[in-house]
Amino acid sequence: MNYRPYLLLAELTHSCPLHCPYCSNPIEYPGGQELSTAEWRRVFEEAAQLGVLHAGFSGGEPLRRADLAELVAAARAAGLYTNLITSAVGLQRQRAAQLRQAGLDSIQISFQSDRETLADQIAGTCAHALKLQAAQVVRELGFPLTVNVVLHRGNIDRLEQIISLAENLEAERLELANAQYYGWAFQNRAALLPTRSQVARAVEIVGARKKQLLGQMDILFVTPDYYSERPKPCMNGWATRFLTVNPVGDVLPCPTASAIQGLRFDNVRMRPLAWIWSQSESFNRFRGTEWMPAPCRECPLREVDFGGCRCQAALITGDAGATDPACALSPHRRMLTSFVEAIQEAPAANRSFAADLGRLSFRQNPGG
Amino acid sequence: MMSMDPQSRPALARGVRLRNDPITGEPVLLFPEGVLPLDTTTHDIILRCSGQATLASIVLALAEEYETDPETVRVDVCECLAQLRQRMLIAISQ
Repeated sequence: MNYRPYLLLAELTHSCPLHCPYCSNPIEYPGGQELSTAEWRRVFEEAAQLGVLHAGFSGGEPLRRADLAELVAAARAAGLYTNLITSAVGLQRQRAAQLRQAGLDSIQISFQSDRETLADQIAGTCAHALKLQAAQVVRELGFPLTVNVVLHRGNIDRLEQIISLAENLEAERLELANAQYYGWAFQNRAALLPTRSQVARAVEIVGARKKQLLGQMDILFVTPDYYSERPKPCMNGWATRFLTVNPVGDVLPCPTASAIQGLRFDNVRMRPLAWIWSQSESFNRFRGTEWMPAPCRECPLREVDFGGCRCQAALITGDAGATDPACALSPHRRMLTSFVEAIQEAPAANRSFAADLGRLSFRQNPGG
Repeated sequence: MMSMDPQSRPALARGVRLRNDPITGEPVLLFPEGVLPLDTTTHDIILRCSGQATLASIVLALAEEYETDPETVRVDVCECLAQLRQRMLIAISQ
């Protein structure tokens, strides 16, 4: 099998003005210096040679890198499509215009809710008003706009209003991504996972609004896999299409792979990207179907869902090589379903999110 | 949703780029969420979506090129454009 990366996620920094309790950043940040401008330039060039066509600039908050425009220009010079994935805090007109000039192709802004009070409570800082201003600037400068909202128990009941917000901002795309339970989100999952009935209502709303907005705004809805019978085909299979380079230059098959204990990641400072992609232990660990345990090994869907998500298997069962418990056939299924059942009757489901705030751990920045 | 009038003028949507994959030489669309490899028919259609040409003229040009009945081509082109439009890869102006 010939594996080729198409998309690079460039995590420029782990620093962020927001403290969202569902952040997928690792709880233990890797040590070391952030990559320099020159090092990132080399990463983009090597990635393009390897077949990458698309670069997402993420973090943390990528705007915290003073050299962001230079990095965008470097990625464009290497022939890559460039997408900025941002909280929009710090995206004033001058900065946005500078990024436009550098060749940035598109911008994705995260929102936490449609309501300022709730949004700022979730973000752990006053950001909502700044985001609205930034979205306006993005429109005026002619960038395509994607609005991303991570859904959880505290905001999923406002889905109608959230969709209207994105519509009013004239976004081309709205990503309604149920929180994926890794990193900080895993720690907070008892307070974040929506109930079964909340999810069912959300699916109905999205179905109706998607039809209505056809050709005006594309709505992508990511269901929480805790409620599914079959696991998600995570990353379309381990190390088949995606590369993540983290702020200190470690190369990961997926953004959350550092959750897997005992997996060692190679670094762009030590090795060429092409070597890491084809030869490194971490990229080859779960490639193909050889590594699979029963029941995946004999499953007719083994090349459809690839046994699900390795990080989820590791977080829930303690074994990254186990079948993802999001699969009904997983021998560890109970570890997931017992958690899911326990939260259904949780009184928090009908309380205000404010009541849950006290038991959430908010994301901290590196170094405190 | 705006219907696809024969006089409407399809074009690549904002932020969507058409390029050749340097590895395979095949055409791909690049857009905010990712990469879409194009089959020959879709590529032929997209190449004509200049924002100037009307849907009617695109259908006629393709019917001539494929030496096929324009009605058959029209159905295929509309289906293809509807799918691309749903993903906000094509914008349609009157």
